[in-house]
Formats: sequence, C-alpha cells, structure tokens
Amino acid sequence: MENNNKKSSAFYSYIPNPQTKFDTQEDGENIYLLLRSHPFTQIGWILSSILFFILLFVFNFFPQSFFNLGQILIINLFFIIFILSYIWFNILNWYFNVGIITNKRVIDIDFYAVLYKEITNAQLGRIEDTTVKSGGYIESFFDYGSIFVQTAGTEANVEFINVPHPSDAVQIINKLLSKKHGF
Amino acid sequence: MDFKDIIFKVVILLLAVFYYLYVLVISKQVKVMDKAVQDKYNWLILFVTSLQVTVSLAILIIVLLAVFLI
Repeated sequence: MENNNKKSSAFYSYIPNPQTKFDTQEDGENIYLLLRSHPFTQIGWILSSILFFILLFVFNFFPQSFFNLGQILIINLFFIIFILSYIWFNILNWYFNVGIITNKRVIDIDFYAVLYKEITNAQLGRIEDTTVKSGGYIESFFDYGSIFVQTAGTEANVEFINVPHPSDAVQIINKLLSKKHGF
Repeated sequence: MDFKDIIFKVVILLLAVFYYLYVLVISKQVKVMDKAVQDKYNWLILFVTSLQVTVSLAILIIVLLAVFLI
C-alpha cells in the first residue's frame, strides 16, 4: 500500500493515505483510502441552487405592488438564507458521507439527510467478494462508479456509491485481502 | 396596520423561529459528524456552522424587533 501515492483528484473525493481519523478507529489501524461521492454526482443540487438564485433575480426584476419595500427586503433575506442553507446542507451531506479502507476493514459512514447516522463495516477476513458497477457515458467519462463489498453470513454488505476510480479502490481492497490471506 | 401586514409578520416570525431551531439541530449534528470523521478541514465546517447559528439568532432578534416594535 505504500506505493499508492496517487494524488487526490476530483476535489478530494479520492484520498489515498489521508490524515483523517474516525471514531471507531482501533489502535494500529491505518487508513489507506478515503472516498467520497464524485463531485459530478453533486451537479443536481448545484444546478438547483443556481435556479433558485435566478428565481430570486426574476422576483426582484418585476415591480411588486403587493409588498412594500421593507417586506421585499425581508423576503429577499429569507430567500437568500434558504438558498445558502440548502447549499450548506448538501455540502455537509457530501463531505461527511465517506467510505474508508483501512488495513483491518472497510467502513461506510453514512449520514442520511445529515440527521441519521449509519456506520457499516466489514472486516477484511469476512469479505467474500467485491463488485464494481460503472456504466453509461458520464460514469465512463468521469471515471466513477459504485463498489459493493459482500461479506460472509448475515453481516451487512458495504456499499460505496458513485465514488471516483472504483477499479483502483477495489484493487487496493484486493491487495489487502491477498495480504490478509497470505497469497 | 391592515390584515396583510399582520399575516406577513406572523409568517416571517414563524420562519425565523423554525430556521433558528433547524440551525440548532444542524449544529448539534455537525458536532456528531465531526467526531465520526475527524479531518484537518473540519475546523472550517465548524466555523461556518457557528456562523450560521449566529446569523439565525440575529435574524430572529431582528424579526422579533420588527414584529413587536415597528
């Protein structure tokens, strides 16, 4: 894993050997790779935010007879706050939903709508199969896709959705598995 | 003060209160997320979140003043 010095690309959504820690990290557990969703998958809310700003502009462009000047200022203030909060909410959602590959396990930390926390992990010794799913023009062009890590028995499977360089990430997992099983 | 102004004041007061409560919940959750994934850029996330709390409180005070004093 030491030779994995690929530079972080795509706005730090693929970070080899990061200086990051997580709350269930054990002693001697080193993070080899940290993954977030590819920035291109965030295009939906970015475009929505731009559309909201355009709507605000349109609202101000036409003269308002129903509201007085003070009310228009307050409406603008709330509209801007709503848009900024929407942007911030989505940034938080992107930033803290991470996949982590360590020398002991594979961990998926998810915060659904920021409020609900779910941490799924699979010990390397329990991993049976890894699958990469990447298809379509956009996914091929930007090199992102989903990784599914299947575990033995009733343990939960780990999923990294829309992460950059999925093949490279699976290669890292496979190398760790080989090391673990002594191949 | 006509009926339209009263409705407007009630709506902005409710929006300001709900926004303040929303921001408080988000700031609590950001602290949880900060513990879950500790990164060198987390200070920026915490800073922006505390800024958001301050702004929401300022808005609530301004709206309260606007509703009850003006």
